[in-house]
Amino acid sequence: MTERVTIDARGAFCPGPLMELIAALKTRKIGDEVEVWSSDKGSAVDIPEWCKKVKHECLGVNEQPGYWSVLVRKAK
Amino acid sequence: MTPTLFILLSSGEREKVQMAAMMASVAAVSDRSVEVFVSMSAIQVFGKDRSPSERYLDDSFSKFLCKAPDAVDLFRQGKELGDMKLWACSMALDVQGWEISNLEEDIFDGPLGLTKFLADAESGQFVTL
Repeated sequence: MTERVTIDARGAFCPGPLMELIAALKTRKIGDEVEVWSSDKGSAVDIPEWCKKVKHECLGVNEQPGYWSVLVRKAK
Repeated sequence: MTPTLFILLSSGEREKVQMAAMMASVAAVSDRSVEVFVSMSAIQVFGKDRSPSERYLDDSFSKFLCKAPDAVDLFRQGKELGDMKLWACSMALDVQGWEISNLEEDIFDGPLGLTKFLADAESGQFVTL
């Protein structure tokens, strides 16, 4: 059974949201999803790029009022 | 395979230490090996029991960076989550009469001479700050 957790990293500056996401992924099992909320503009591009590089799956980037929600599935 | 990133950090100015910490931690969590050699005034940033407000030399950008993640914490996170080694310049320690025990715990992999660091760096990409 896969699970989804949400990390609220709003207010953290680069690379804080990415590091919080990575720390959360480390504790999850393959297939789990982590949604990270970030008010750092770079995260909307940086997190998908990081996923591509290290072979996790970015399921979507959604702009919300004042922040971005990025959904990542742990793939390895 | 991506070549190892070698960073020589010699300035204790906050903007340079911050840039080094950002580069090192992001590269390390992106499946890239990173080695950081810390020398000159940068070594004082890592002096034991210093608060973030005491660590850095001032520069014109410092006042903004107090909102960003602290550089020493970023180095620590990069080591925990990725493949990163930090070396303390043995000369910079010697001239101050410092040992590794005078530095923040769980960050440095040991003292190292510049000659060894430069020899290792021949096989990778090199950045100085």
